[in-house]
Amino acid sequence: MGEIVTLLKPRLWSFRARGTAGKRDRRLKLAVLGVIGGLFWAGLFALSLRVLTYFRSVDQLGEMLAHKLLSMVLVTFLSLLIFSSILTLLSKLYLSRDLSLVHATPVPGRKIFLARWLESTVDSSWMVGIYALPFFIAYGIVFRAGPIFYLNLFVNLASLSAIASAVSAMLIMTAVMIVPASRIRTIFVFLTLTFFLILFFAFRLLRPERLVDPEFFETTLVYLQALRAPLPAYLPSTWAFDSFTALISGRILTGLYHDALSLSCVGFLCCLMVLLAESVYFKGVSKTQTAAARLFKRSIGGEFIFSRFTGPRGAMAAKEIRTFFRDQTQWTQLFLIGALIVIYIYNFRVLPLERSPIKTVYLQNLLSFLNMGLAAFVLSALTARFAYPAVSLEREAFWLIRTAPISLKSFLWTKFFIYFLPLLVLTEVLIVATNFLLEVSAFMMVLSTVNVLFMVPGVVALGVGFGAAYPDFTSENPMQSVTSFGGLLFMIVAALFIGAVLVLESGPVYTILMAGFQGRSLTLLQWLWTGASFSASAALCIAALLLPMRYGVRQLETQRD
Amino acid sequence: MIELESLTKTYAEITAVKDLTLQVPPGQIFGFIGPNGAGKTTTIKMLGGILAPSSGRVRICGFDMAKAPEEAKRRIGFIPDRPYLYEKLTAMEFLRFHAELYGVGGNGFKARAEKELDRFSLLDWSNELIEAFSHGMKQRVVMAAALLIDPKVIVVDEPMVGLDPIAIKMVKDLFRNLAAGGAAIFMSTHTLQVAQDLCHRIGVIHRGRLIATGSPEDLMRQAKTTETDLEAVFIRLMEEDSLGIGGVRHG
Repeated sequence: MGEIVTLLKPRLWSFRARGTAGKRDRRLKLAVLGVIGGLFWAGLFALSLRVLTYFRSVDQLGEMLAHKLLSMVLVTFLSLLIFSSILTLLSKLYLSRDLSLVHATPVPGRKIFLARWLESTVDSSWMVGIYALPFFIAYGIVFRAGPIFYLNLFVNLASLSAIASAVSAMLIMTAVMIVPASRIRTIFVFLTLTFFLILFFAFRLLRPERLVDPEFFETTLVYLQALRAPLPAYLPSTWAFDSFTALISGRILTGLYHDALSLSCVGFLCCLMVLLAESVYFKGVSKTQTAAARLFKRSIGGEFIFSRFTGPRGAMAAKEIRTFFRDQTQWTQLFLIGALIVIYIYNFRVLPLERSPIKTVYLQNLLSFLNMGLAAFVLSALTARFAYPAVSLEREAFWLIRTAPISLKSFLWTKFFIYFLPLLVLTEVLIVATNFLLEVSAFMMVLSTVNVLFMVPGVVALGVGFGAAYPDFTSENPMQSVTSFGGLLFMIVAALFIGAVLVLESGPVYTILMAGFQGRSLTLLQWLWTGASFSASAALCIAALLLPMRYGVRQLETQRD
Repeated sequence: MIELESLTKTYAEITAVKDLTLQVPPGQIFGFIGPNGAGKTTTIKMLGGILAPSSGRVRICGFDMAKAPEEAKRRIGFIPDRPYLYEKLTAMEFLRFHAELYGVGGNGFKARAEKELDRFSLLDWSNELIEAFSHGMKQRVVMAAALLIDPKVIVVDEPMVGLDPIAIKMVKDLFRNLAAGGAAIFMSTHTLQVAQDLCHRIGVIHRGRLIATGSPEDLMRQAKTTETDLEAVFIRLMEEDSLGIGGVRHG
């Protein structure tokens, strides 16, 4: 046990050291993150409380719905824990940089495994646990549960986390014996995304909006029957569910019995996992040390294209594109973008505009205007995922840029253009395709296309600029840098920028559209107001392009001091 | 030609390099030696333009690193102690990337790149991803890239780390030939034998201050030792400086 604690100490010490280094800066970041996290938590709690209170107020059916919701939350909680555990454990057990150092110590492999497993279990479950709490606490309040319910809550969340982590560890250890660890992550994320997309499309094809249509009321009977169906007895989430419902109805012994079931399962799985680790963990680590062979050795036509990229900027662009497409973790992201575009456009295709009580032409143009904001938010998310980590992705090889005869300004603008062009095309595709589906007026089509042309540079520059101002060259996974303080700041500023542009334009656009519907022309004052609003939003877009880039260059330069 | 003029670097309360002044003329190999934490890597980073000095100046072939960084850097072949590279590029792609950054990726690139890769026994690996290379192979890729740009100045931090004996001999011969061809080489090292074998002039840095410079023979004279081994000279100089009886000595 002493060795396991020792193995965990570096993590604890570095956590403590983080608390003392750069105190003021850190406090500010913690405060901002804490406030946002707290608001989100409170929002979840308020929503859960409202929904559960409403359910409880509905006779008979309400309680059934609340219980069904509880079981669904528990199954989702368990699934999220397994997903999170697999990703965390893969890195921690097989891909961490300190593995060779740790495995060179005279500590048995099983203890190294256990220390890493414990660390991963905490890492993968703390956030899921914290954000699951508001629902469970609301559940306890609405159903007037006693203190033992809350104590039981912690026991169950901990045992579900341990079960998810143990099952994930066993799955990973077995999988690594067949496929290299570096590929498993890609395959796993790819499979999960595919699964999610199939589920999404299945759900969309069911057209749930028809449930509000009186013609389809008979489906409610089928739904009610489904609510009464028993839960699978072998699922750990079912034991947790049984334990919660038993305690709420005052059957304490039954509740404790289900807790014992969960805890004994934890014990059994842990023993099984350690036995498996004894026999295969080190073999897997050893296998991971050998470099995986390249999937595609020859590029088709790539060399011809890249030979056109000359000069420092061309070289940087070629390097960026090559490294991007050779990194298998990016492939799943590309798949996700493709799926996102399809879902986005499909959702517009199935909008039941003709049934709306509001005038269709008005609604079409309103939706088109709002769609600019929605597309810009999708763009922000993609920028956060791709453009924000662009500087951090240089990792420790950034010395090459530092010592090369190119300025940091040139370096950062090259990064900007690499991400700007594809993101512009993608956003324009989203806007034009959805506008076609909405059958908007020519004015709205031109307005949204031009507007996006102005907004995309701003959002991408915010991403690249903030990414340069808050780089993380030492991270094992620079893609995660977007969850840092800088990433959060980027998301907030990007949202404010998009919101400000839309607010500035909403008034004049409404006036122009209404004038068009009513067949009258704008007054001089309205023309002046429109001109001023559009000029102000153009100025805002230019500022969003130039200022963050300048800020990013300046911050990168201060790293030399 | 490398010129360092009153170069100082401070981090909060720590002075990593203090008032460092020296020149390395074309054709000279200058060895920079000192214990851990003496300020060698900080100096190297300031020379390469990675770190800005708190005060003082770095001039490369007459170009001030603060005023004309691109021109100064264009003339430097920089070789760091740890070869962090773009792992998803092949060796050949990396050399092209490097050459393009330095504006020498045009005609004749392929032949020059193959020559450098061949020199460092990497030609058979030219189309393999760098992520599959060992530490020593990566170090050789960095060296090949640095030489590809035909630098007037070579700044190298711990050149022999990770290299096998054959590569070490090859690098030593290479540096001698480059210096004979007029390149100024600034080399930081812990391996005193390498410094003794290779350097025309050696500078000893301790606690951020240059405490002695000169040829290996000059240093032996300054340390008042009859030992012909640089290690003994080095230890003697360190002891004297720690006791405060040294002062700055130039040979």
